[in-house]
Amino acid sequence: MQLEKFTYDNKIVRNFGIAAVIWGIIGMIVGLLVAMQLFSPSANLGNQYTTFGRIRPLHTNAVIFAFVGNAIFMGVYYSLQRLLKARMFSDALSKIHFWGWQLIIVSAVLTLPLGITTSHEYAELEWPIDIAITLIWVVFGINMFGTIIKRRERHLYVAIWFYIATFVTIAVLHIVNSMQLPISFLKSYYLYAGVQDALVQWWYGHNAVAFFLTTPYLGMMYYFLPKMANRPVYSYKLSILHFWSLIFIYIWAGPHHLLYTSLPGWAQSLGVAFSVMLIAPSWGGMINGLLTLRGAWDKVREDVTLKFMVVAITAYGMATFEGPMLSLKQVNGIAHFTDWIVAHVHVGALGWNGFLTFALLYWLIPRMYRTELYSKKLASFHFWIGTLGILFYAIPMYWAGFTQGLMWKEFTQEGLLKNPNFLTTTIQIIPMHKLRSIGGTLYLIGAIAMAYNLAKTMLAGKLVANEPAEAMPLEKDFVETDEMDKKWHRSLERKPIKFLVLSLIVILIGGMVEMMPTFTIQSNIPTITSVKPYTPLELEGRDLYIREGCVGCHSQTIRPFRSETERYGEYSKAGEFVYDHPFLWGSKRTGPDLHRIGGKYGNDWHYNHMIDPTSMSPGSIMPAYQWLAEQELDTTQTVAKINAMRTLGVPYKEGFELKANKKLAEQAELIAADLKTKNITVKSNKEIIALIAYLQRMGTDIKANRLTIPSNQ
Amino acid sequence: MFKQIKDLAGGEMYLISSLFIFMVFFILVGVYLIKMNKQHINNMSQLPIEDQENQINEYEIH
Repeated sequence: MQLEKFTYDNKIVRNFGIAAVIWGIIGMIVGLLVAMQLFSPSANLGNQYTTFGRIRPLHTNAVIFAFVGNAIFMGVYYSLQRLLKARMFSDALSKIHFWGWQLIIVSAVLTLPLGITTSHEYAELEWPIDIAITLIWVVFGINMFGTIIKRRERHLYVAIWFYIATFVTIAVLHIVNSMQLPISFLKSYYLYAGVQDALVQWWYGHNAVAFFLTTPYLGMMYYFLPKMANRPVYSYKLSILHFWSLIFIYIWAGPHHLLYTSLPGWAQSLGVAFSVMLIAPSWGGMINGLLTLRGAWDKVREDVTLKFMVVAITAYGMATFEGPMLSLKQVNGIAHFTDWIVAHVHVGALGWNGFLTFALLYWLIPRMYRTELYSKKLASFHFWIGTLGILFYAIPMYWAGFTQGLMWKEFTQEGLLKNPNFLTTTIQIIPMHKLRSIGGTLYLIGAIAMAYNLAKTMLAGKLVANEPAEAMPLEKDFVETDEMDKKWHRSLERKPIKFLVLSLIVILIGGMVEMMPTFTIQSNIPTITSVKPYTPLELEGRDLYIREGCVGCHSQTIRPFRSETERYGEYSKAGEFVYDHPFLWGSKRTGPDLHRIGGKYGNDWHYNHMIDPTSMSPGSIMPAYQWLAEQELDTTQTVAKINAMRTLGVPYKEGFELKANKKLAEQAELIAADLKTKNITVKSNKEIIALIAYLQRMGTDIKANRLTIPSNQ
Repeated sequence: MFKQIKDLAGGEMYLISSLFIFMVFFILVGVYLIKMNKQHINNMSQLPIEDQENQINEYEIH
C-alpha cells in the first residue's frame, strides 16, 4: 500500500469565507436600520420597499442563511476534507454549491423588499426559490457524501456526525415547511391552515435554530477548538452522548413557541417537557467545549481566536439555559411576544454564531494564505468592541422585555388594566431601543474592522488554493481484524449511509408524534360552525397584510389571560383559523394583537391610521402606508386564489370564482361609500379598501355567535 | 410548578409514551458508550489534531 498524494481545496473555503463576511456586514446594516425604525419611523425611508415589515425578514434571512450559512459551508468544507483526508468529491459541485447559494441570497434580497413573501418566519422565500434551495442543498449533500465515500480515514469523527445530521434534518424541515400550492410564479398558499400550519412552522422555526444555527456550529466547535488549543476534546464519549441526545430531543421542542395558543394542550406540554430536558445535552456540549481548554487557559489570554471561542461557547451556554426557562409556561406567559425573545435570540446569534464565525475566520485566513494576521491589535479591538456590542444589545432588550411583559399585565386595585393604551408601553421602552441600536453599531464596527484586517492579511499573503497532503488509502476489502470493529456500535462510524438513515429516524420520531395526531384527530381542532371563509375582498386584503409584513409586529392570537381578554377581547380558538392559509399568529407584539380588531373601529379610523398612524395614535412608531391609497388592487388573480383555496379545502361553492370579482367590487363599493360619509374620498379599487375589509373581518365570526363555540374551547 | 406537565386533560398518553421512547433511546446510547473501546476513543479524539501531520508543508503561525 502506497502513500497517496492529493490536495485540499482551500479556494472554496476562502470563497465561502469572503461571502460570509460580506453578507454578514450587509445583514447587520439592515439589522441596524430595522432597529432604528423601532424608535424613529422616519427610518422607514418613506417608501414601501424599506418599511420594517418588509425588511425585517431581509435582516433575519441575511444573517441566518447568508452570513451563518456561508460560514457553515466554510467550516464544513475545511474540516471535512481534513478529517476524511480527501479533497472534496467534486470541484464542479463545490462551485455550483457556492454560486447557487449566493444566487438564492440575491433572490431573497430582490423579492423580500418587493413584498413577495410566504410569511412563515425564516421561510419567507416563495416557492421557486424554495425549489432552488432544495436543489442546492442536494448538491451540497452529494458533495459531502461523495467525499465521505472516497475518504482515507475509516472512522467518522463526531464533527462529521453533526454535519450529516444538519444535512438530513434541514432537508426534511425545508421540504415539509415549504408545501405550498402555487397561484402564480411568485405567489402561493400553504397546504396547511391555522393551528396545523402553526405547528409545522414552529417545528421548522425551532429546528432551523437547532439544525442550522446549532448542530453545524457544534461540529465546527468539535473540530476547530481542539485545533486552536492544540489538545483533544475533553471527552469524546460526552460528545457522542451530546450528539444523540441533542438531535433526539431538539426536534420535539417546537411547540414551546405556541404556548397558551389554541394548539392542543398535550402538544404544548410535550414541547415544554422536551425543552426542559434539552438543557442537559446543550450544557453537556458547552462543558465539553470549555473543558477542552483545561490547562490551556493561558493561551486564551494571548490568542484572540480562543477569546472569541470562549465567549461563543459561553453565549451558547447562556442561550441554552435561557431557552428551557423561557419554555416554562409561567415564564413564557410574560416573555412571549416581547423584546425578551429578541434579546435571547441575539445572545445566540451575536455571541454563539457571530463570535464562533469570527474565530474561524481569524484562524483560517492566515493559514490558507500562509501569512500572519495583518493586525492582532485590531483583532483584539474587534473582540472587545464586539463583546461590548453584545452587552449593549442584550441588556436593554432584556430590560425592555421585562417592562413590556409586566406593563401589559398590570392591573389597578379596581381591577382595570393599568395601561389600557398599548402605546404607553411602546413609548416607555423607546430609550431601550435606542441603546440597543448603539449595541448593534458597536458590533457592526467590529465586523467592519475584521473585514479590513482580513483583507489586508489576504493582500499580504498568497492563497494556497490547493494545499498538498498525503495519506494512506483505505483498504478496498476491509477485514475486521479487531474484535471491537465487528461490533455494531463501531461499525456505525464506518457506515455513513446507515448513519444517515439512523439519524433521520431519530429526528423523525418527535415531529411525527406531535404532528400526526394534530393532523388526523378531529377533536384536536374543534370546528366552529359560524366561522366562514373570507370574502374575495377580504382574501385580497389578507394577501396585502402578508405582503406588507404586518405579522412582523402584530400577533393574531389572544391568549387566555385576563390581561389579554380585557385588552383585546375573547381569547382565540383553534376553530377560528381553519381557513387561514397561512396562519398569521405572529411571534412579536411591537404593536397590539389584531385578532379581535374587526368592528372595533370605523372604516375611517383604519383609513386615517394607515395613511398617518400618529393622527389616530399619537406617538405611534408604525410607518405610514400612504401607497395603499394610491395603488390599485390587483384582482387578476382573485379567481386563481379562490380556486386554490377550494383545492385546499376551503368550502367555496363551485362557480363562486366566476362571481368573485363582482362580489369583491360590491363589497369595496360599500366601504368606499362609508368612507365618503366620513369625508374621505377614495376610489373603491384601491388597495387600502381591501385591507380595511380584512381588518374589519378579523375575529368577528364568533363575536355574535358565541353559542357556536364548542364546549371544550 | 409541574402542573403544566401533569395536567394534560386526556393527553397523558402522548407524554408518557414520548418519554418512554426517549428513555429507551437514551439507554441504547448509554450501552453504546459503555461498550466503546478506550483506545478507539483516544484515536478518534486525536483526529483533528493529527491531521496536520499529514500535510506535506506543515506551517504554524506564531
